[in-house]
Amino acid sequence: MLTKFFETVRQRINRPLQYYEDICVRCGACADACHFYAVSGDPIHIPAYRIMLIKKLIQSSPSGNGTFLDWYRESRQTDERTAAELERALWECTGCRRCAVYCPFDIDAALIVSAGRYSLLQEGIGPEMVAEIGNAEVSKGEIIDVIKDFYLEQVEVLEKQLQEEFAPGLRIPVDKEGARVLYIPLVGEHATVPMTKIFHAAEEDWTLSMFTATNHSFFVGDTAKAKQAAHWIIQEARRLGVQAIVYPECGHATRTALQYFDAWFGDEIADIERVNVVQLVASYLAEGKIQVQSGMFNTPLTYHDPCNLGRNVGAFEEPRALIRAVATDLRELTPTRELNWCCGGGGGLIAEPEMKDVRMKAGQPKVEQIQQTGAQWVVTACENCKTQLGDLNEQYELGVEIKGVVDLIADALVI
Amino acid sequence: METIPFLFYYVTPYVAVIVFFGGIGYQLYRWGQKSQVRSHLSLYPRPESVGGRVLDALIDMFTLKGLFRVNKPLWAGGFIMHMGLLFVLGGHVRAFTDFYFLWDLLNWGDEQVHTFSAIAGTIAGTLFTLPLIYLLARRWSGAVKWLSTPEDFFLLFLLIGIGLTGFHMRLLQEVHVRELHAFFKGLVTFGWQPAPASAGGSFIYHFALVQLLMVYFPFSKLMHTIGVLYSKMVARS
Repeated sequence: MLTKFFETVRQRINRPLQYYEDICVRCGACADACHFYAVSGDPIHIPAYRIMLIKKLIQSSPSGNGTFLDWYRESRQTDERTAAELERALWECTGCRRCAVYCPFDIDAALIVSAGRYSLLQEGIGPEMVAEIGNAEVSKGEIIDVIKDFYLEQVEVLEKQLQEEFAPGLRIPVDKEGARVLYIPLVGEHATVPMTKIFHAAEEDWTLSMFTATNHSFFVGDTAKAKQAAHWIIQEARRLGVQAIVYPECGHATRTALQYFDAWFGDEIADIERVNVVQLVASYLAEGKIQVQSGMFNTPLTYHDPCNLGRNVGAFEEPRALIRAVATDLRELTPTRELNWCCGGGGGLIAEPEMKDVRMKAGQPKVEQIQQTGAQWVVTACENCKTQLGDLNEQYELGVEIKGVVDLIADALVI
Repeated sequence: METIPFLFYYVTPYVAVIVFFGGIGYQLYRWGQKSQVRSHLSLYPRPESVGGRVLDALIDMFTLKGLFRVNKPLWAGGFIMHMGLLFVLGGHVRAFTDFYFLWDLLNWGDEQVHTFSAIAGTIAGTLFTLPLIYLLARRWSGAVKWLSTPEDFFLLFLLIGIGLTGFHMRLLQEVHVRELHAFFKGLVTFGWQPAPASAGGSFIYHFALVQLLMVYFPFSKLMHTIGVLYSKMVARS
């Protein structure tokens, strides 16, 4: 059984993955890194265990078990129990790579998780919702003409609303050729309103994308579909002739744009800059393109580094610079930056209702971190983190408010 | 000479060398067959320049400073053992040749060199062997007990065995270095010399265990010595 899984995972084992399988010395340093393991004590959550599980399954001798070599290498039989264990080992993970920071060899267990998830998908094993959303993102480009008019209507309504509430001259350009930047929103006004205000204040020559930034195929390890979904945005950017694509407060989308696009799209993307909103807005502030009200927020607050913006992309200081510009009491979490605990909501888990219990448990280290600071607001720059933190706040009665970095800036703008 | 000692002195060393280098070459070939990843799988923070990143990777390799941050006991075990290994390997130059320039510089005769060697070798051997015992003991508790495989225990016992037989040679036998030089030169030139008598019984155990290590090395997690830099550079790409 699981023949498709094995075929696929063997193909997916590229050079880094083969190295990881062979050089992991099973020191166990990674165990202390993982928020799942910290709460459960279940070996299935030890990052190296996830890697070794796949290795032991692949190396099993054709006859099955019983040879000395099988005993020595702890080869695993493929059975129902294995399939269940695999699903848990590969899906009870947020792909945060905190384990890679702990590992003496910087082994990226999330990379095998990605390959494993895709391989399990070939067997129809794994949460369905995430892959479904991914499929929708892939096909969105094909139906864009159908939904375009409706989208433009909604944008017009929002534009009028903001012209009344915020600034009369405010525009939300869509499909504007020759604009400097293309902004990719998320589903929902909350991802468009703050940036619209900031773009207006900065007098940016921008245009709003027809697409949204999320890429659920990436969570499923389906790199082909992840590339297809992202390609609609690349095509739009090239058609409009923009110089930069601006990604919203979305961790994984920013990560694909900054880590994967070069390899996925090569020349097609070579002359188009990719940047996250916190980086762009921080540069606006530094260059004096926007003014903010200093010290506007006195509430004790803390900043949660989203894994995909922090240790995976390196944007540690920009959000902090923005927060310090408008707030007086920024408290750091312990540990912080690249060692910050994952919120527990990444890796596509938010999209899957049946994973809620798992991610609520895995969020316990994050809950303790927040409580230690005494902060009343938790500020972050990733949509999934915000949702997860909101859920944690409710479940563990933290009594905090969750805010986005650009929300704070937009509210503190001096026009 | 009886058959088994004869094999381990004059036959298996060649097998060990061939399998060691050939095996490593084979693994490098096997790794090279796998497709490269062109995405930037970097972890942050990391230096900007490529040179800076290579230096950062090497520094972390030699000091394990990343591990020190997150797990000090494990760092101590790993770091001290590898330092001991470095000194032991350096000292083993004296199995093949000698630091004549150094002894001349210090104006040391055979007696003084021998005494220094006894002390330095004992220190190096201790730095190598004691942490191994800690690394072995820790595999019976905590998270690592779920990870440990027969290979992990086998290698630890093997390395401890090599350390202890080395101690035996160093402290309980009077090894004449010239006999070792002649013996090894004989192996290399195929002009075989008698097995070093002064090393007594422990030399063959030590020598045999080392050959076992060499033969097993390319097919074990010890390949981390070869693969570590690549792995760390992927995380800085």
